[in-house]
Amino acid sequence: MRYQSVIAGFGGQGVVFLVKVLAICAGNRNIPFLGTENHGMSQRGGAVSCHIKIGDFSSPLIDTNQADLLIGLEAQESLRNISFLHKNGKVVTNADTNFPRLPFVTAKADGFALAKQGEFPIQALNVFMLGVVLGSIEDFPFSQEEVRTAIEQMNAKMAQQNFKVLEMGIEAGNRSKN
Amino acid sequence: MKQTLMGNDAIAWGLIHANVDMVSGYPGTPSSEILTTVQKIKKQLNLPMYAQWATNEKVGFEVAYAGAITGKRTCATMKQVGLNVASDALMSASYIGNLGGMLLVCADDPGFHSSQTEQDSRVFAKFARIPVLDPATPQDAYDFTKLGVELSEHFQTPVMLRPVMRVSHAREIIEMDDETNYQPKEGKFQRDIPRWGAVPRNDRYLQGIEQLKRVEAIKAYNWEHFLKEQFEKCQGKELLIIASGTGYGYAKETLSECGVEADIIKVIMPYPLPQDQIKEYTQKYDKVLVIEETYPCIEEQIATQNLFGKNTNTTQLIDEMSKAEILKSLQKLEIYRGENIYEALEISKEYPLPKVEARPPALCPGCPHRDLFFAITKVFKKKKAIYPSDIGCYTLGLAQGAIDSLLCMGGSVSMASGYSIADPEKTVVATIGDSTFFHSGIPPLINAVYQNHKFILVIMDNSTTAMTGRQTTAEREHKDIDIKKVVEGCGVACHEYFYTNELSKTIDFFKDIKKVYEQADGPVVVVAREFCVLDKERSKEFLPSLSVMVDEERCVACDLCVSSYKCPPMAYNANGKVEIDPFLCIGCGSCLDALCPTDAFVKIDKGDK
Repeated sequence: MRYQSVIAGFGGQGVVFLVKVLAICAGNRNIPFLGTENHGMSQRGGAVSCHIKIGDFSSPLIDTNQADLLIGLEAQESLRNISFLHKNGKVVTNADTNFPRLPFVTAKADGFALAKQGEFPIQALNVFMLGVVLGSIEDFPFSQEEVRTAIEQMNAKMAQQNFKVLEMGIEAGNRSKN
Repeated sequence: MKQTLMGNDAIAWGLIHANVDMVSGYPGTPSSEILTTVQKIKKQLNLPMYAQWATNEKVGFEVAYAGAITGKRTCATMKQVGLNVASDALMSASYIGNLGGMLLVCADDPGFHSSQTEQDSRVFAKFARIPVLDPATPQDAYDFTKLGVELSEHFQTPVMLRPVMRVSHAREIIEMDDETNYQPKEGKFQRDIPRWGAVPRNDRYLQGIEQLKRVEAIKAYNWEHFLKEQFEKCQGKELLIIASGTGYGYAKETLSECGVEADIIKVIMPYPLPQDQIKEYTQKYDKVLVIEETYPCIEEQIATQNLFGKNTNTTQLIDEMSKAEILKSLQKLEIYRGENIYEALEISKEYPLPKVEARPPALCPGCPHRDLFFAITKVFKKKKAIYPSDIGCYTLGLAQGAIDSLLCMGGSVSMASGYSIADPEKTVVATIGDSTFFHSGIPPLINAVYQNHKFILVIMDNSTTAMTGRQTTAEREHKDIDIKKVVEGCGVACHEYFYTNELSKTIDFFKDIKKVYEQADGPVVVVAREFCVLDKERSKEFLPSLSVMVDEERCVACDLCVSSYKCPPMAYNANGKVEIDPFLCIGCGSCLDALCPTDAFVKIDKGDK
């Protein structure tokens, strides 16, 4: 299997957390992977673009026209990273109805609006969007159960709360398909 | 045992499994997590070892190097520009050598992600005549850390490990030792004055001869252990690729994805290279392409007619490597004639995309630096001032127009001297953080005091090395080290300011400093006692958790807050008025006082929510 994902957002949104969750998912199934993260200056609220390549790879970066999936925690950051996708690539983005039409299978969920309504704390937006991925992307390499296990391994204390938000994301992802 | 690790964590485990028991370094992206992780492992396994942040890279190197002289296995960690600071010690250490093992981990940053330069530390190793190992992945980083310590002990010379950011901050499954059977060596200093105390000319000359012999011996080792077997398998086809570090990974993927056949050599130790043996094999190929990050280190050591790389303009000369660039190199060599599979799809004609605004990093919401920069530029007007600054989070004050020049660690203070001499009509207001001040701000301050250079130096003391992940600073760990006393010890008064979220107080303080400056005939030094909003231990006492909104009727969109204060939650809404993003606002309340000319920022009573 070869599956390349770009996870985009801005510093403070917990992009690196998602890289770690997917890395644990791959590790648990003993599938090789290479991921790359942003640390230091780029973390201070600036644009963040992390890559994770699952399967037989030898370099950590994804080139343009190569990614299978783009997960965007914010609409502008999704657009900034759109060139990474190949023609059958898919987009899962946090966006409102103003998000432009794209020549890619696109799943949208308005995470900011839901957080404002108090559905989940804004810090859990990353987990919510991972839920949207699970609910909308059929060829995503990991199952809901595998993702739950990884989230629990990452932070056992927060696991129950994160599962709830993940579930909300999965539902939103299911809805976005229809 | 299999473990999912980031490259820097892998290096930390490699050090422990190599029985290294002295680790000293200075934080700097992308190297910082190495020592942080060593400290975590030390605590977790209760290991008897030394693992501490030094005041700068030179100090860190020297502490570790002395340990290696006594027979211990030691390590110094730093980023590539840190090696510039430590280079004085390194150059001599390479002549003198060590009895134990010393690994110098120097993390490079191709692509300028968090650095002022893109310098290639492998070339520095070549300059210092010490061997360097170039890992391609976190697994290599773990393996080469252990190897480097062994080689250092075997050849009695410091050895460099040079991970690039995409190794340090890459993550993968690592195969590492099952158990930690930690058996550090005892340090026993053996007096040997001609060696440890070598002076010019004779003893140093002799050490120089030894150094040259050592390099030849390491070349032979490099051939026997890392290269011979690989070269012997080479078929002698059209193209041979010689790659080092991440270049190997990128090259391998490009070849398979483009369907190009070529032999490929993975160079583990890019210096010193056994040129003669390598040349015997390279002559069997039409073309040899060297792929390495970022300078032509391997290329310049081999240098044959059929060799292509940076010096022939075949591979990229600057910026982070990519497969797209390797594909271009293969096209230039007329090896690959297919399409550019790494070219972004052209979608904008059919699917017009809105313009994506740049999102540069910014000072955190609630950061006290923002208030200081705002006050400094308000009191010392731009037209009549020069603002040199330094390396740290506060570099982001650039966005507020509060920084005019940046050079290197500690450079703000000496450049303030230089500006004050060269352009005396202007008021020079320099800013520097506490960690940077201890790193290399003190010698230039003494210089300024004794030569009466008139400028203002603002030491922004948040008592942490914030940008690189909040590593401990000297005064945080040891309360008796007080910046105020240090400044006074340099022979000048220190004006202390205790930060509050009342912006008017910060402005008033700098107005007073302006008066002091007008009467002064030497440097005026300020220490502003601040905090870091990310510093959980201290930030709570400073952050009141207020909820703030904009009264749209009062907001006249004068742009002052958006252009000069630059707090990330503040942006214009659809009505053309400033709005505060509640997700980004940390509730510091600094904007409530003295910022808005029409008092449009108002507190929301908790009851109203």
